[in-house]
Amino acid sequence: MHMSSRPGYWRWRRAPVPWLFLLPALLIFALFKYIPIVKGLGMSFYKVNFGAAWDWVGFENFQRAFEDSDLHVAVLHTTVYVFSTVVLSAVIGFAMALLLEGPAHHLRIIRTSIFLPAVTSAAVLAEIWRILLASTPYGVVNSILAWVGLGPWGFFDKPDQALASLIAMATWRTIPYDMMIFLAGLSGISRELHEAASIDGATWFQRLWHITIASMRHTFVIVGVLGFIRGFRVFTEVYATTGGGPAGATEVIMTHVYKIGFVEFDYGYSAAVSFLMFAFTAIATTIYLTWERRRKHAR
Amino acid sequence: MHHGNFVDRFCAPVAKAIGLALMAATLATSAASAADPAILKIWTRSGTDARAAWDALTAKFTERSGLKVELFSATTDFEQRLARALSSGDLPDVIINDSSTLGQFVTLGVASEIDRATLVNGKDVSDRAWQGARAFDGKYYAVPFSVHPFVLFIRSDWRAKLGLPVPKTWADLQALSKAFAEKDPDGNGKADTYGLIILGTVTRGYASWYLSTYLWQAGGDFIREAGDSKYRATLTEPQAATAVKYVRDFVCVDKSAQPGAINAAPFDAVAGFRSGQAGIYLTGPWNIPVFDKEPGRDKYEVVQVPAGPANGDVLAEGDLAYIVKSSTNKAAAKAFVEFLVSPEGQTLAMNPGGSPLVRIAANSKVNAGDVFKDPRWDTVNEAYAKHGHYMPNVPNWSAIRQLTAEGINKMMASCDEDIPAGLKDLNTRLERELAKQKVLAN
Repeated sequence: MHMSSRPGYWRWRRAPVPWLFLLPALLIFALFKYIPIVKGLGMSFYKVNFGAAWDWVGFENFQRAFEDSDLHVAVLHTTVYVFSTVVLSAVIGFAMALLLEGPAHHLRIIRTSIFLPAVTSAAVLAEIWRILLASTPYGVVNSILAWVGLGPWGFFDKPDQALASLIAMATWRTIPYDMMIFLAGLSGISRELHEAASIDGATWFQRLWHITIASMRHTFVIVGVLGFIRGFRVFTEVYATTGGGPAGATEVIMTHVYKIGFVEFDYGYSAAVSFLMFAFTAIATTIYLTWERRRKHAR
Repeated sequence: MHHGNFVDRFCAPVAKAIGLALMAATLATSAASAADPAILKIWTRSGTDARAAWDALTAKFTERSGLKVELFSATTDFEQRLARALSSGDLPDVIINDSSTLGQFVTLGVASEIDRATLVNGKDVSDRAWQGARAFDGKYYAVPFSVHPFVLFIRSDWRAKLGLPVPKTWADLQALSKAFAEKDPDGNGKADTYGLIILGTVTRGYASWYLSTYLWQAGGDFIREAGDSKYRATLTEPQAATAVKYVRDFVCVDKSAQPGAINAAPFDAVAGFRSGQAGIYLTGPWNIPVFDKEPGRDKYEVVQVPAGPANGDVLAEGDLAYIVKSSTNKAAAKAFVEFLVSPEGQTLAMNPGGSPLVRIAANSKVNAGDVFKDPRWDTVNEAYAKHGHYMPNVPNWSAIRQLTAEGINKMMASCDEDIPAGLKDLNTRLERELAKQKVLAN
């Protein structure tokens, strides 16, 4: 065959094939992701004036981010939100994955219905949760609390409960998502390991710890990293429920950025804060993944 | 031999298809960007209920002038959409928005200066209305076409059932609100009604917008002019604390305000009044046609806002038409704005029976009471003439409104929050903002 006689030529002819398949997606990504990211970075070095030339301010916008006490509070709220949501939904999601693992038909139906919140729009969920957590004594959750002699609670209306209410909502939304990843992880564990351990007299808890959790370390990492990235850029859930209030109790980084950019029209500073957050998530994720890989190789 | 291989057989058509798609996309974008210059682009901050009225108005303009109009309307995130258009250099020719964004539009270089003298029908527009279009530098950057004051909406059927009078003072309002919350005015046997509707959200600075009427009525103010176009922040005056405490007591002491007041925006408030959850709402007259449908015209009344300890001032605002500075279609834009303030345009825009684009005509030759043939509009006219109080003309009121809304929201959110201390902190932030806008008096 003459093709095999010219391998270099053939390789050259084939090289563009994967790129051609990727091209539509790459074009869309470039248009809606990469170009805006670069433009945003450029913007963060300017005081953006509309209808006039922009003023170059160098690192002033970045410097301002380190002095902005409102932003620091927002970072704190976001951190609390991210860690609580990631840990709670991973633990509950894992427990539910253990319960709902298996090929039985009814389990499949339950798994599908449980997954629904994860595919519903955040704005819709926020509206539903506002109704559920209405602060009136006859609100849905407050009515239930009344049966056990609790409440009525203020939920989104009270500065000391609003962030916790948001965390509850986000956890509820993330559990099925995490559960699905855990289910995929569980299906990868060989049954033989469990059988062998049982024969050796290992208890259920020992098998869970030494087999299930030990073999699913990588799944936990994925769930954690995804939750971390998703959590730090939370916006819709907050904007549609509390708008950052009451008393700024739920102000997170993105609602702060939104306000600077689209209410105060300070595009330069809001681009700088957004870029800092992008850099932070990218660096933190890379460090964590590298550390995890090194540890794996070291074993 | 080329025909037999995969690359040629498969990739050539794919590449061709992609190329065609790209070409089509390029053509489409260039067609869109080279928009027909004869079409006048107008953006209004208005909802779907007002859309029909805007369509009728622009159709009449097209009929009169032969100029074509493309209309875009939105209420949700209108300013944010504008910001996006602004940053991509794709602004319309005319923007219709309320007067609170004037300073911002001037600062951003969106609004072009208006010459009152050469504007057809300009001399018929009342001086009071022009006041809402005058920017910090004393020049005019928009044409006022509608003005309105705040009035009080009360469920008259509830009030009649409880046998209580129309409130005239702050104490009366408090008593009425308490009665609505406690005496089951809808008679359903459940404690599910409330009195006063309060807007407490920080979104779009509503908390500040809402509180302004009470603040002025108590004798206080956000800022006061200190000569030479400079301002002092005056939220540390005891009158400001009186106003915040008065409003907060509806939530904290009497518990007669609607639930969720702290996060409430007008959307929630209107829903609450319509559905019969709460029975008293301090707002603008654009809600008259909304409330006529639900709870129903015979179930509520429009009255003067009860006076506070110092005076009976109420927030007055206007709707402005801006001619965009970057517009390449300024002659048509000017013609539209002139039509908007003409007696014909004003009367048509009042849209009796529907959603009123013009509440009180800026053109002094047109009378709202005459057009609507509705005594409630006489109440609105009287409130504007006697008690209308405009927000101050600073370079960027939106920023101050947002800032003060956050402070007010904070004091309203917890009942044990120290109000004078909160106001002191807010005043310091306000001074910083005034300094940033270069209008802080020393």
